[in-house]
Amino acid sequence: MGIYISQDDVKYPKLLKELGKEMPKQLYYKGRWDESIFENCLAVVGSRRMTTYGKQITQKLVGQIASAGVTIVSGFMYGIDAEAHKAAVDVGGRTIAVMPCGIDRVHPDYQIKLYNDILENNGLIISEYEGDSQPGYWTYPARNRIVAGISKAVLIVEAGEKSGSLITANWAKKFGRKVFALPGQITSLVSTGTNQLIKEGAEILIRADNILEYFELNGSSALTEPAEVGPREVFPRSSLEDKIINHLQREPMEMDLLARNLQTETAELGRTISMMEIKGQIKKENGKYYVS
Amino acid sequence: MFLKVQSATNLGLETMGVDVEVNIASRGLPVFEIVGLPAKSVDESKERVRTAILNSGLEFPQKRIIVNLAPADIPKEGSFYDLPIAVSLLAFVTNCRIPENSLFFGELSLDGTLRHTKGALLLALFAKENNIGNVFVPEDSANEAAIVKGINVFSVKSLSSLLLHLLNKEKMEPLEYKKTDSDIFKAKAEFDMAEVLGQEQAKRAIEIAAAGGHNILMIGSPGSGKTMLARALPGILPPLQDQESLEVTKIYSAAGKIPPGGSIITVCPYRAPHHTISRIGLIGGGSKPKPGEVSLAHRGVLFLDEFAEYPRATMEVLRQPMEDGKLTISRTMASVDYPARFILAASANPCPCGYLQHPKKQCSCSEREIRRYKKRISGPILDRIDLHVDVPVVDAGELSETGQGLQFLESSAKIRQRVIKARNIQQERFKNDNIFTNAEMRNEQIKKYCQLAKTAKQILTAATNSFNLSARAYFKTIKTARTIADLAEAVDIAQEHVAEALQYRFKEN
Repeated sequence: MGIYISQDDVKYPKLLKELGKEMPKQLYYKGRWDESIFENCLAVVGSRRMTTYGKQITQKLVGQIASAGVTIVSGFMYGIDAEAHKAAVDVGGRTIAVMPCGIDRVHPDYQIKLYNDILENNGLIISEYEGDSQPGYWTYPARNRIVAGISKAVLIVEAGEKSGSLITANWAKKFGRKVFALPGQITSLVSTGTNQLIKEGAEILIRADNILEYFELNGSSALTEPAEVGPREVFPRSSLEDKIINHLQREPMEMDLLARNLQTETAELGRTISMMEIKGQIKKENGKYYVS
Repeated sequence: MFLKVQSATNLGLETMGVDVEVNIASRGLPVFEIVGLPAKSVDESKERVRTAILNSGLEFPQKRIIVNLAPADIPKEGSFYDLPIAVSLLAFVTNCRIPENSLFFGELSLDGTLRHTKGALLLALFAKENNIGNVFVPEDSANEAAIVKGINVFSVKSLSSLLLHLLNKEKMEPLEYKKTDSDIFKAKAEFDMAEVLGQEQAKRAIEIAAAGGHNILMIGSPGSGKTMLARALPGILPPLQDQESLEVTKIYSAAGKIPPGGSIITVCPYRAPHHTISRIGLIGGGSKPKPGEVSLAHRGVLFLDEFAEYPRATMEVLRQPMEDGKLTISRTMASVDYPARFILAASANPCPCGYLQHPKKQCSCSEREIRRYKKRISGPILDRIDLHVDVPVVDAGELSETGQGLQFLESSAKIRQRVIKARNIQQERFKNDNIFTNAEMRNEQIKKYCQLAKTAKQILTAATNSFNLSARAYFKTIKTARTIADLAEAVDIAQEHVAEALQYRFKEN
C-alpha cells in the first residue's frame, strides 16, 4: 500500500471537495505533500501529437506562468502534457502530474527523467489508483477529471476534433473552471478542437498575462531570461541572416523551401544556417527551422 | 606414359598453381579416373573431356588413365580443369609437345569448343607474378586475361584449333588487349539529377558523398524522392582510376560476373540489394567463400533502401567492412580476404507509417513506436555515416508550375565534372598514403591534410559546444569539410566549409 490522503483528511485539496460524486475517494502520491501547491493550479493539456508551434508556445508561455508561482497540472502523457511539465521544471516551478495508472507505475516509462525532475522540484505525482495497476481506456478520462477538478483554470494548447483534451475542457466547464484555449491555424488538425472552444466562448490566450491576470499575479519580475550564448558577438550578423529570420518569423520551413524563397543556393544557405544555429538564433525541429 | 600440364585454381582473390598429372598405363583394364579431392564438377570433367575429344575427330585412348590434381590434399572445384586434362590426352594421342612455361585453363563444351570460364584475370595475374610466359584460356575469357601486360595470352577457340597450334601446323598469335566497354557497367543512372525537382540540400549532400567517398543516410517520407536520388547517383560517380579498376575487375572475375568478351571495369559499381538479403549474401561466404554485395560494391556504391527494415544482425555485419574497407571470411575449407571499400548510401522513413513531418498526411504512429523505429538503425552504423540529410516531400507539380528554384537545376554531367575535379585533388593528395578519398582518412591523416583556418576552428569549437558533438562527429565534420573545400578547389578549410559540413551532422531528433 502506498501513502495516500483520503477525502476526509484536512489536507485533501479544497477544490476537489467541491466535485460531489466525482470526488476521488483518496489520492495516492509521490513527493512531499504541501497544501500550498494546490493554491494556484493551472491545468495545461493538449494533443499527444503536438506541432512545433504547440511545443514552442508551451515552453515559452507555460514557463512564464510557472515562474510567476502558478502550479502547472497535467497528465504526464507525451506531447503537450510532458512539455508543460518540462516547461515548469525548467524554470524551477512546481508541477503536479496526475497519472492514469497505479501510483507505482511510470507511464510512459521512457519519461522517467521527467518524472524524477518533477519530484526534485518539489512537485507531486498523484493518482487515485493504488499499486502498479495498468492504465485502461476509462482511466484516462477519469484522470482528466482530477486534472480539471484540482485546477482553478484549464489551458488547452492544442487539441484535435476528438481529443482527450476536450474531455478535460468539458470537465472544467462542468466544474465551473475557467477555460483558456490557444488559437491555431484553421488548417491545422490539432487546432480544430481549440479553435472550436474559442468559438464556444473559451478565453483566448495570446500572452502569458491573460492567465496571470486571472490568477491575480504579476509574472514579469520572476521571469528568467535564457543566458546569452557566447558566439553571438564573435560572428557578426549578415544581411542573409536577417532575411532568413524574416522568413522564419512568418512560418517555420525546411531548408529547401527557404532556399527557393530566398533564391539562394543550398550550399550557401546551409553555411549561414549552421552559423545561426550555433549562435542560437534558429533551431531545427521536425525537419523545419524556426526562430528560437 | 606420364604427362604433366600446369594450371591454377582461384581461392577468393588468391591463386595457387595446380599440376595436372596424367598417367596413361598400357597395362590394366581401360578406366578414366580423377584423384586429388575432385568435387562433382571436376569429376564430371571426365565425360566432357571424353566427348569433346571424340567430337574433335580424334580417338579417345582405351587405356588405364589416371589424372592426379596436385597438391592432392586441397579440394578441387570448378570446371576449368577440362582444358589441362584434355591437353595431356591430346599430347598422348597425337604426340604433340606440351609447351613449357604455360598455364591451361578453361571449360570444355561437348562439341570441343571452349566456354567462358570465371577467374581468367586472376590466372593471368598469377602467371605474371610467377614468370609463366604463356596462358591458354577460352576465347570468351581471353580479353579479360589480356588486361595483364607482359605475358602471352592465347585465345583458344576449340580443341582442334589448339591442336593445330601444338602441332605447329597453324600457329596462334598471342592476343592483343582490346579495350571494350563492359555493357553491364555502362553508366546506368536511371535518372538525371536534373529530373529530380526540389531536394536541393539532398542533391548537394549526394554530390559531396560522391566526391569524397562519404557514407550518406537519407531520411524522408514515402514518395519524397529518396530512391530516385539514389538511382541518379551512378550518373555523378567518377570513373575508376587504374588501380581501382584492377581491384574491382579482380573481384568481378572471381565472382564470374564479367560477361564473355568483357574486359576491365572502369565504371564505379553500383549495388542495390533488397532488404531481405541474408548476412552471407551481404558480406560473402559459402564453404568456398564467395564475394558478397559489399565486395561487389568495392570502390562504388552500396545502396540500401529502407535501411530500417534490415534485420539487426544483417546490419551489424556492415560494421567491420565500413571501418576497415576489407573483410576476412573464414570457413573450414578456406579463409579469404576480400576488399570492401564502398560508399554506403542508405535511405529510411522517419517513422513506421512514414508520414511523420509530412505536410499533408497525418502520421499514425505513437511516440513509443517512433522511438523504437529510430533505434532500429544501429548506433555504431550511424556513427560511421558522415552525411545525414532530410528529404522532405516536394510538391513536384507546384514546383514545375511556378518554376521556383528551377534555375538551380543541374545535369548529372555537370555535377560529375566537379566530382571528378575533387577526386583528382584527392588522388594527388593521397598519392603516398595508399588511400583514394577523404572519407578513408585516419586521424593522423586528418591532422596532416586538414588545415583549418582560424575562424573555421572557432566555429567548430563553438559547434562542438552548442550541438554536443562527440569526438567522432568532430572528425567526421572535418572530413566532410575537406571534401567541400575540395569541391570549391580551396587549399585550406575555411569557415564556410565547416559551416556547411555541420549541416550534415547526425541530429538526435
